[in-house]
Amino acid sequence: MNRKLSSGISVSLAVAGVYAYFLLFAQFAFLGLLQAKVSGEGLKIVLSMMALGGVVSGFVVSRSGKSGRTAFIVAMLSCAVVARCSPLTDSSFLFAMLSLVMGASLGTATVCLASLIGRNLEPGSGCLWVGLGTGLAYGCCNIPVVFMASPAVQASVSAAFATLAALGGAKLDDLRGEMPGVKAIPWRAILVFGALVWMDSAAFYVIQHAPELKDGTWGPERLWRNAAVHVVAAIFAGFWLSRGGWKSLCVTAWAVLALAGWWVNDAATREWAGWIYPAAVSLYSTALVAWPGLLAVRTESAGRSIASRAAWLFGIAGWIGSANGIGMVESLQRVPGLFLILAGLVVVGGTSLKRLNRRAAFVVLFMGLAAFFGRKKPSVSTDAVERGRQVYLSEGCIHCHSRYVRPGSADEAVWGRSADPTLTAAEKPVLIGNRRQGPDLLRVGGRRSEGWLRAHFLDPRLLSPDSVMPAYGHLFQDQRGGDLITFLRQNVAEDVAETQARAASWKPAANLQPDASKGKLLFTNSCIACHGAGGRGDGPLAQDLKSPPRNLLVGPFSWTLARPDEPQLSTVMRVLKFGLPGTDMPGHETWSDQDLADLAALVLELRHQP
Amino acid sequence: MAFEDAGEGRVTAARHALGWLVLANAVGVWMAALLLWPSLGSLTGEAGYGRWVPVHLNVQLYGWTSLPLLCWLFAIHQVGSSKWAGPAIWGWSAALLLGAVSWLSGHTTGKIFLDWSGGSLLALMLAQGLLWWVLAAAWRRHRTGWTKLKRIATALGLLMLAGVPWMLAMATSPSTYPPFDKTTGGPTGASLLGSTLSVVAMLLMLPASLGLSRAKPSKRWLWWVFVAEFVTFIALEAKGGTHFSLPQIIGLGLLLPWLWWIPSEWKCFDWPERSIFWKRSMLVWWGLLTVAGWLEFLPGVLDRMKFTNGLVAHAHLAMAGFTSSFGLLLLTLLGGEKICSSLSRGGLIWNAAVGLHVLVLMICGWLEGGSTSWIDGHPLWREAAFIIRFLCGLIMLYVAAFWWRGSLSNSDDS
Repeated sequence: MNRKLSSGISVSLAVAGVYAYFLLFAQFAFLGLLQAKVSGEGLKIVLSMMALGGVVSGFVVSRSGKSGRTAFIVAMLSCAVVARCSPLTDSSFLFAMLSLVMGASLGTATVCLASLIGRNLEPGSGCLWVGLGTGLAYGCCNIPVVFMASPAVQASVSAAFATLAALGGAKLDDLRGEMPGVKAIPWRAILVFGALVWMDSAAFYVIQHAPELKDGTWGPERLWRNAAVHVVAAIFAGFWLSRGGWKSLCVTAWAVLALAGWWVNDAATREWAGWIYPAAVSLYSTALVAWPGLLAVRTESAGRSIASRAAWLFGIAGWIGSANGIGMVESLQRVPGLFLILAGLVVVGGTSLKRLNRRAAFVVLFMGLAAFFGRKKPSVSTDAVERGRQVYLSEGCIHCHSRYVRPGSADEAVWGRSADPTLTAAEKPVLIGNRRQGPDLLRVGGRRSEGWLRAHFLDPRLLSPDSVMPAYGHLFQDQRGGDLITFLRQNVAEDVAETQARAASWKPAANLQPDASKGKLLFTNSCIACHGAGGRGDGPLAQDLKSPPRNLLVGPFSWTLARPDEPQLSTVMRVLKFGLPGTDMPGHETWSDQDLADLAALVLELRHQP
Repeated sequence: MAFEDAGEGRVTAARHALGWLVLANAVGVWMAALLLWPSLGSLTGEAGYGRWVPVHLNVQLYGWTSLPLLCWLFAIHQVGSSKWAGPAIWGWSAALLLGAVSWLSGHTTGKIFLDWSGGSLLALMLAQGLLWWVLAAAWRRHRTGWTKLKRIATALGLLMLAGVPWMLAMATSPSTYPPFDKTTGGPTGASLLGSTLSVVAMLLMLPASLGLSRAKPSKRWLWWVFVAEFVTFIALEAKGGTHFSLPQIIGLGLLLPWLWWIPSEWKCFDWPERSIFWKRSMLVWWGLLTVAGWLEFLPGVLDRMKFTNGLVAHAHLAMAGFTSSFGLLLLTLLGGEKICSSLSRGGLIWNAAVGLHVLVLMICGWLEGGSTSWIDGHPLWREAAFIIRFLCGLIMLYVAAFWWRGSLSNSDDS
């Protein structure tokens, strides 16, 4: 077999075996076995032994100059033994010893593998084989029968992965007798990859421990998809790296990971997060594996130099970055935006700055920490109105809605009577607003029912097809939506009475020419969500409203029967303009009298249909 | 003011300012897109239109508008070679980024342009503290070489700046709110006079503070006029009133003569050739802003324009027109040769896009003020205005990105 091809396949097998063992056993199966027998402080000690073994052994083997094939094979076989022994163990001490041996073996194996990759592959095309190995590792771990298996079965599979890695390593050229290499600390790579691992670990932990997040991203039915995405993304990463540009790949991986971290917090976008999160992980993981041997500036290509770079990179960015990320989010149910931004600052700064300004980095880090520790947990009021006011603020409602009817202006005819300005000024904070993309909300409680507001928040364009209002369905996944409506309707009795009084005194313009055919378009846009296309009160929202929409064909019509002092058309127009305050029937305050007349004519026409 | 004096602090401030301009414009374009295609909002989850607005506004103010002013302060204090000047700007930008995260996460005080709370407020106060320390250290180092007037003026300035973080903390509190015109719910004429007079003071100080040589004797009497108008502002603010009150209308009208006085004062100085375009642009935008501001305050006009896109147009006239050209003038003078070179192109396109944007929104606002039927009806004229606004935003974004890229492509300034 062609030498290059043989080396590539062997590296791919070795990478796949090591990585799959790490993902499946070190991160999952061992933890599962451990948690069944050990808890509390003992658990933390056992896991600390793994990290300790990983970091220390990496440095020891890199300094010894023996980071070659034999050490790699021995380390992976040790990993296999640990995996086979773990299900048989039940004492904390033995778990701690196994954890230490596993950490030391993995630390040794990863450093040796980095050296072997550098020795056996070319910097350009070699990245493709690393990408293939990384993708296979993630892909195999996401195969449902493996992913869903018990920890004991996963341990057996992991032992097989470790053996496969040893077999792959055995086919590689060993390091030749070399002069000791340079042992410079790769700060830039440590910062960049450390931030990515830190962010990924934090996001992974939060998603893994929040059931709704977990179901939405890597629930059982999504495992095959995730496996495929991992494989494709890792191979793509290998291709990208083979053409140079590990920095651009890392920035891209951060951007995708940050977007996934953001999307996963929201039910509406969680499904998309499930697609891009595995892709981002595979992108940066491929670069992480390839960096010490293939991507670092190869002024010094001796195996010992590569091993030193790998020990620093995997020791700090890998082991410590991962533990730190998990430790900082242990009590959270969401991926904090601050984490995403801080990681972005480090990744973008670390890859783009020609020389790292230590003072600037210190100041930025200091600001981030100050903001993190200086953040205040908002006090949650026991008063629903006050909580609703906070939702109104948080969602930025003031940027599109006023809560101020100007005294003595045309506002009062449309939005209701003005309030005492001294009461407005006494609000904390004052919520006047300075822009109306939509209606004034001071007296919206008199114009819109609770049911209507809820339906409108869920899907504004169902009730008002041209509305620019965003949908706020997420507010109703907890109590925020209800609180907001309570705030908006806090003076409902007064507001309903005020609207009724305005309606009673209203008179339509003279000389209108009602045209039922023009009213049809208005009916389609504004009425069918509740009254249905045929006006029979059977629209899609009909079941959600407390007061069922009227069947406009047969009634009963208690509200729109002709008053003795005016034509029936005017009475119907009044209801269309002001709604029926206190019921779910909304008004159409902004319409012209001609539009009201056209729709009223159509409504009266419907009434006379059989 | 020589280019070679730029130093790391000023170059960093200029680059960050332009970077923030790009981000603010990108967010503005995103918001314009959301008004045209609201369903796009689902892409950003809970961070809907209302959460993007404070990001757009505050990044424009604290990023794009403030950093050129910091550049100016660095120049006055001859911060030049300080090792902490650049990091202090990084600290400012980090605080602003943290603020953006908090606004997108729904943390807000509900006060426009004073939206700082919790950790991001603390970070901004710390950044201001670090900047103050950089300025104070430069004052201490250079004071003996300055004139007595400059020494005292900068010392007083430093004393005032020391209070800014605490004033900010107080101003962001939901418990404080300035007096407002009860007939509109907006600022009084006196408030507008006071805030604009602070801009007048900056414009009066600019050429002398930059050390530009005088071609003619300065008009010192302008400072006495300024003091008189400031006293008028205090009196009118104490008396209160609405936009129907003649004293408030006349008070705000006191700004109009500055449209002649400022250019005439600036003519007393020799301006570098490179600054001419943005100096003229700034004076034009300043003139339009002042005249439009006064006209929009008049009874009948304000009643029609309040709460409409007309006032959004005015805000863009102020920020994209006046303060942007003022910031670009400062960066042209102080940001270093490469940044000046980058800013020498694209100015006409920027001004044209801003002008069209403002004009279209102003017309849209006037039409909106005639009736409220547009809320449900979405007439064609409004859709057309939103599309033009979106396209103008894209052009402004492109020009800003061009400037920023130019500022980054040459690293030899720092």
